[in-house]
Amino acid sequence: MTVVYLLIPAFLLLASVFGLPLLRYAWLSFHADSVLTGLQPIANDGANWLRLMHDQRYWQDLIQTLRFAFASVGFELLLGLAIALLLHQPMRKRGLIRSAALIPWALPTTVMALGWRWIFNTPYGPIDQFTSLSGISLNILGNPSFAWIALVYADVWKTTPFVALILLAGLQSIPNDLYEACTLEGASSFTCFRKITLPLLKPYLGLAMTFRLAQAFGVFDLVQVMTGGGPASSTESLALYAYWNALRFLDFGYSATIMIASFVLLSTIVAFGWWLMILLNQRGSMAVTE
Amino acid sequence: MTLELQSVGRQINAKWIVHDLSFSVKQDECLVLVGPSGCGKSSTLRLIAGLDRCQQGTIKFGNRDVTHLPPSERAVGMVFQSYALLPHLTVYENLELGLRIRGVRIEERSRRIQHILDLVQLADRANHRPSALSGGQRQRVALARALLRNAMVYLLDEPMSNLDAQLREQIRPELRRLILDQGKPTVYVTHDQNEALAMANKIAIINNGEIVQLDTPIHLYNNPNSLFVAQFLGRPQINCLKPRDHQIQAIRPEDLKFSESGLPCRLVSREWLGNTQLLYLESAEGGLRMVAEPSFQCPERLFVTWQQSKVFRFDAKTGLRTS
Repeated sequence: MTVVYLLIPAFLLLASVFGLPLLRYAWLSFHADSVLTGLQPIANDGANWLRLMHDQRYWQDLIQTLRFAFASVGFELLLGLAIALLLHQPMRKRGLIRSAALIPWALPTTVMALGWRWIFNTPYGPIDQFTSLSGISLNILGNPSFAWIALVYADVWKTTPFVALILLAGLQSIPNDLYEACTLEGASSFTCFRKITLPLLKPYLGLAMTFRLAQAFGVFDLVQVMTGGGPASSTESLALYAYWNALRFLDFGYSATIMIASFVLLSTIVAFGWWLMILLNQRGSMAVTE
Repeated sequence: MTLELQSVGRQINAKWIVHDLSFSVKQDECLVLVGPSGCGKSSTLRLIAGLDRCQQGTIKFGNRDVTHLPPSERAVGMVFQSYALLPHLTVYENLELGLRIRGVRIEERSRRIQHILDLVQLADRANHRPSALSGGQRQRVALARALLRNAMVYLLDEPMSNLDAQLREQIRPELRRLILDQGKPTVYVTHDQNEALAMANKIAIINNGEIVQLDTPIHLYNNPNSLFVAQFLGRPQINCLKPRDHQIQAIRPEDLKFSESGLPCRLVSREWLGNTQLLYLESAEGGLRMVAEPSFQCPERLFVTWQQSKVFRFDAKTGLRTS
């Protein structure tokens, strides 16, 4: 029982920074609280939630956010796995190369987002300079079909090292003699990869995926700096929409509704990822660490 | 078919970890490589398996020169110290993997796995994962996998070092029977001299990447060619008397006898081991270990003697046997 008592301070701390704001938002989502109400909360019988149901922009943003999250996390996992496999190979100056691979991740998002905004800039960015040589100007950040791809590109550039790092840790946890035993049986390196690396890496893939999905779903800074949600709201994320409702339109009640709705969705996704990971852990590498 | 190594060597960072190693192992024969940690015995095994490349010498399986073949083409069955079982596969799937890779048909696979599981007495564990098995059972799965390989040569790398002493003793005869029944040359690596004596037809004692002495267990024990071999084999360890004329004299603890006169000794401590007792004595010749009857009540002061013919003499500088 002492254990439970000792956990109380940590629990109280978490409750005060997570629980209270969340409860406050949940409460606020059932109130009108905007310039029209003199920034005073007035109960409105779920009108916010009704509005959310019919808010085209919200649903559009949800789709855009999911599209961004799944596209970027998908590429990050694939690329991260490839990079982790490379970094796992014995080579000279391995420590140095591994550290260098982490640089994009270490950069502040706003800094690298500004960088990418300039790279994609039309007509001054290098990409446009290059394509305009052949007479084409893509105007990537100004085109609703391309702008979100540029965001995915920048996000993949920044966070792939993080995924690679987690997967590298996973690769290092696989004992080398498993591969040696497999080679002695006459297996090719591809067979070894399929029969050993992938199955034993599953829990780590699950972990990286959960982390990244949670982060990508709540993306704010990258979008804010690179496109500001544009053009024509085509890259707007849920976090951005909630932020605008609160701090631009000063509609705190509706902003709280968006946040609570996003929170429930995100928790569901993370819980699902977590459950998947525990499932894979039971089947996977628990026995390796033994 | 004979396994033959001719002046095999491997270098890491300009240091020979295996140097000019030659031996041959006939079929039905189990050669045990034994030596202190880092002496190059496991490295030798890896060279035979092809997991590492030799920079010198040749390795032959019969008439076939395998020196430059990749491990997959050498057909060796190897048991790893860690067993190297895949944790996400069942015992059956672990055994099946190699057969599948080599394209054995499904009925044939199932027949051979059943047979081998019966042989290692694990038929009721086929659908368990390695994590659900005891250490001894995992070791048998690893052995079964090696046996399924239909190998030309069997290699065992400290296969019992993860088992407790009791289990080791239990498994030893079983392991020896299973391996020798294959009628293939077997190389067995261990750092445990008891295991070496029990498993071997021949023992190669290795130090610093070179063979110090290679012979039958009996001959090694009775005729060590150097102080290193004499000290390595035999527990309790051989006694070294005070050096005289640049010679070290050594006598086995069981060859010391009590007597009315002789070397005066004082009892320092004793270990009662059930079927025998080990006495630690102090004398003008230095500390002595001696084996006595378990019921013997050792006095504080006593005399010991020995036959001169039982004394080994080694050069104090080189450690080589002089007589």
